[in-house]
Amino acid sequence: MLVDPRFFAEQILNSLQFSMLLFLLAIGLSVVFGLMDYLNLSHGTIYMFAAYVAFSITQLGGSFWAALALAPLAAAAVGVLLYFVLLKRAEKGGHLTQVLLTVGIIYMGTDLIRIGYGDLPKNVPQPAALSGAFDLLGIPYPAYRLFIIGLGLAIMVVLYVVLERTRLGALVRAGVDDRATAETLGIDIAKVFALVFGIGTYLAGIAGVVAAPVFSVYPGMDVSIIILVLIVVVVGGLGSLRGVIVGSLLIGFADTFGKILLPQFAMIMIYLVMALVLIFRPSGLMPARRFSVSG
Amino acid sequence: MTVASRTFVRRSVGVALALAALIAQALAGFFAQELIAEAAILAIFALSLDLLATCGLISFGHAGLLGVGCYVFAGVTVLMGASPNLAFPAAIVAGACVAFVVGLFAVRTTGAFFIMVTLAAAEMLFSWGYRSETFGGANGMGGVPRLDLTAIGVDLNDPGVFALAMIVLCIVIWLLLEVVVSSPFGRTLAAIRQNPSRVAALGGRVFLYRLAAFTASGAIAALAGALKVQHINFISPDLVSWFVSGDVLIAVVIGGVGTLVGGPLGAALLVVLKELMSSTFGHWYLFLGIILAGVALLMPRGIVGSLLDLNDRRNSRAAAVRTPSSEGAA
Repeated sequence: MLVDPRFFAEQILNSLQFSMLLFLLAIGLSVVFGLMDYLNLSHGTIYMFAAYVAFSITQLGGSFWAALALAPLAAAAVGVLLYFVLLKRAEKGGHLTQVLLTVGIIYMGTDLIRIGYGDLPKNVPQPAALSGAFDLLGIPYPAYRLFIIGLGLAIMVVLYVVLERTRLGALVRAGVDDRATAETLGIDIAKVFALVFGIGTYLAGIAGVVAAPVFSVYPGMDVSIIILVLIVVVVGGLGSLRGVIVGSLLIGFADTFGKILLPQFAMIMIYLVMALVLIFRPSGLMPARRFSVSG
Repeated sequence: MTVASRTFVRRSVGVALALAALIAQALAGFFAQELIAEAAILAIFALSLDLLATCGLISFGHAGLLGVGCYVFAGVTVLMGASPNLAFPAAIVAGACVAFVVGLFAVRTTGAFFIMVTLAAAEMLFSWGYRSETFGGANGMGGVPRLDLTAIGVDLNDPGVFALAMIVLCIVIWLLLEVVVSSPFGRTLAAIRQNPSRVAALGGRVFLYRLAAFTASGAIAALAGALKVQHINFISPDLVSWFVSGDVLIAVVIGGVGTLVGGPLGAALLVVLKELMSSTFGHWYLFLGIILAGVALLMPRGIVGSLLDLNDRRNSRAAAVRTPSSEGAA
C-alpha cells in the first residue's frame, strides 16, 4: 500500500495538514507554560469555542472567511477574559491547582456547549473557493487542506520573525529563559504574559475555525485534540518555537501513518514516539534554555 | 509531636468515615446499596492515587491503570471463560506490571510533565478499547461475573452483601496503606515529596522509590477496576476515559491530597452529590466544573488538609502559650 507513491504523497500532505493544526494549538500552550509555568488544559476549550462560533456564523449566513476573521477574535476575547477572571488566580498555586481549575473550565465549557448546541456533531461547510481539488504534480489533493498547510506555514514564519526579530519576541524569550532576571531589568512580564496569552488563544481560535470543516464540531472535540497537543509539547520541549514545530510534525506524522499502518494501535505509535523521547531527552527535543537542564 | 497529632486527626476522620459507611450500609435500601458500592470502589481507587501522591506525583491518567484491571478481569472471565477468582489476582498483577512498565519512563518526569505523560498513557488504552472488537469497542461488553465466594457462605450477587464487601475491602486497604505510609518506605516517599534532591543527596534512590510507589498504586487501581466491572457487570471504554481520571483526582483533591482518608471522603461526597444533582438539576459536569474551580481557588488543601492545618495552628498556639511559662520556670 505504501509503495504506491501517490498514496504515500497524499498521506504526507495529510500529516502536514494535521501537524499544522497541532502547531497552532501547541504554540500557545507551550509559550504560556514556558513563560509562566502555567499548565492550561482549557486551551482546547478555546479551540472548541471558536469552532462553534464559526458554526454559528456560517449558520447565520456568514461566509467561512467571515468566520475565520471573527471567531479567533472572539476566542481571544474569551481567553483573555477567562485569564483575568479565573486563571490568573491560580498563577502561584502550582500545577495541580492549575490542572484542577482548567479541568473545571473544560467541564463547564463542554456542558455549556451541550446546553447551547446539543450533543450532535455539527458541520461547517468548506469555503466554496477551496472546495475543489488542486492538482499538485499530478496528484489531486483537496484545495482546502492545502490551504491549511499554507496557513500553518505562514503563521510559523510570522511567529518566527516576531519571536526572533522584534522587541516583543525578545521580551518573551527573555521571560521564558529567566523570568526573575527579566523582571529585575524592568520588564513587566505580567503584561507580556497577558499579551502572549491573547495571541495564543487567537491562534487556538484559528485552529478551531480551520479544523471545523475537516473534523466535525462536537462537544468533547477539545479534549480529544488537547491530549495530542500535550504530547506535542512534551516531545518538542517547553517554551520554544522550534520545539513546537518539531513536536507537531513528529506527532502529526506518527498519528497519520500510525492510523494507516496499525489502525488499532494508532495511539501506540504516538506513545512510542513520546516514550523514546522521554527516555533519551526527558525535557523534550528542543526546549527553551531554562527547561533543558531539569530532568 | 505534630506528626503524631496529625496522624491522630487523619485516623479519626478515617474511623468516623468507616463507621458512617457501615451504618449507612446497614440502613440502606436497594438503590442506596448500589451507590454505596460505587462510592467504596471509587474510594479504593482514590486511595491508590493518594499513595502515589505520597511521593509527590500526581497522576492524571489513573483511569488507565483502573482500565487494565477492568479489561483483564473481563477478558479472563468473559472471553477466556476462566473463574473470576482466578481473574481477580490476574487483574491486580497485570495492573502492577503495566504500572511498572509505564512507570519506567513516566516517573522520570515530575509535576506537569508527569501529569501530561500519565494522561497520554491512559488515553492510549482508551483509544485501543474504543476500537477493540474483542471487547465490543465503544458499545462495550456485558456478562462480567462477580467473585464466587459461596465457599465461605458469601453471595456477592446480593447488592447489600456486595456493598458491605466493598466497604470492608476499602477499610482493609486503607489500614494497609496507613501501615505503609508510617513505615520507613512510606517515610522515604514523604521525604521525596518534600525534597527529592535532598533525598538523592543522602543516597536515597528516588527513581526506584517512585517506581515502587507507582507500581503499588497500579496494583490497587487495577484492583479497583476489577471491582468496578464486577459491580456493573459490564465493560466499556468509558471506564478508561479521562473523565474517570478526573473524577478520582477530584475526589482526592476535595478530600485532601496526601492524607489517605481524604480520597475516600471525597469519593463519598462526589457520589452523593452526583446522584443529587443528576436527579434534580441535570448538567452534572457544569456543576462539577464549578465545584472544581471553587476547590482549586478557595480550598486547595481539601477538607482533611484544611482540618490538619487548623489542628497545626491550634497546636502551635498551644505551644506558644506553653513556651513562655516554661522559660519563666527555668
